[in-house]
Amino acid sequence: MKNRKTAVFDGLLGDNTVLSALMVISPVIVCGNTLENAIALIYAFSAITFFSVVLSSFVPRRLPYAAKIIFYAVIASIVYIPVKTAAREFFPEVVTRVGIYFPLLAVNSLIVVQTEAKFFRMKRGAMIGSLVFCILGFDAVMLITAFIRELLAYGTICGRLVDADTLISGLALPFGGFIFLGLLCGLYRKVRSAVGHDSDNTGGDGNVSGN
Amino acid sequence: MFLVTELLSLLATNLILTQALGTSTLFIAAGNKKNLLRTAIAISVFTSVGSGAAYIINRLLPDGLSDLTLLFYTLIIGIIYVLLLTALYFIGSESFGNTRKYVHVSAFNCAVMGTLFTVTERADTYPQLNTFFNFVLSGIEAGAGFILAAFILTAAYRKLNSAKVPASFRGFPAMLVYLGLISMAVYALR
Repeated sequence: MKNRKTAVFDGLLGDNTVLSALMVISPVIVCGNTLENAIALIYAFSAITFFSVVLSSFVPRRLPYAAKIIFYAVIASIVYIPVKTAAREFFPEVVTRVGIYFPLLAVNSLIVVQTEAKFFRMKRGAMIGSLVFCILGFDAVMLITAFIRELLAYGTICGRLVDADTLISGLALPFGGFIFLGLLCGLYRKVRSAVGHDSDNTGGDGNVSGN
Repeated sequence: MFLVTELLSLLATNLILTQALGTSTLFIAAGNKKNLLRTAIAISVFTSVGSGAAYIINRLLPDGLSDLTLLFYTLIIGIIYVLLLTALYFIGSESFGNTRKYVHVSAFNCAVMGTLFTVTERADTYPQLNTFFNFVLSGIEAGAGFILAAFILTAAYRKLNSAKVPASFRGFPAMLVYLGLISMAVYALR
């Protein structure tokens, strides 16, 4: 049986939000190709998810499942409004570049699926801890993906040119994102099984419902 | 020839293969044919009815309140979600327990919400597409595109999950790489 304390950290390492549970992968695949995009998306995802899940935890538990999911999605859509207003101030170009992926962060699986399946089965303190690590799990993958893809596709780091001999421009495109994430996911599993976190590293881990 | 052209156009505009929208839902659907068909039907209902409703909201919502678009789209999907569950309940209350999970999975995800935003974005770029009929048609196309992508994944599902694939890459990682290769081919079509 899994230790309760380590379970709280799972979203980051043991059961990573993106690499293990395959949640919120669309923004990573399509927009995770520059660090500038990544930072803006990390800010938006973290703010929307954290406040939405915390506020949603006050929705009465007795409501039918469908009603609760609608409430959670509506809460996230309301939280999205000030987050987007602030993003327009700090990342005006990125908000335009990221386009539809910005509002789509508000219907991510952590809010509409994991709330009922995982977070709201915990006590509030543990829930917030687990939520923070799930968010950090996404943030870490987004940063790593964006750093490597930007470096290899554009030969830049945060928009500054570096001395890169060979560029793989396709890595910045969605198909490059799919392939890169697939490879990263495989590498993550290999490392996880090597450190003994997972005795069976075959497919099917995590919850893939949602985004 | 007409069918081939339509198939190519469906591939070239496919939301999963070109924009990675609804990829995780696709992985659930591709698991078996029953899941595939039911999830695809539920998603098609959400995308087509939702797109029609999105057209009406776009017309009614003043430009200055565009940040509320997501909220209204969420409410639309919420209403369709409740109506669909109610309809399923009255159609077959015995099978309701099995069928409702497909509606739950399909309601709030990137495939559905992404379709509403993509159709709206396209209509903003090409004003001739800004008609109710076109919105609904685009919603149906998105649903059909989901089915097509799911069939493509289903075709290789067993092999990607077989023991011949290294354990670390078996399942999701292999499926992501496979989708990447299909997406690359689709990119060449555009």
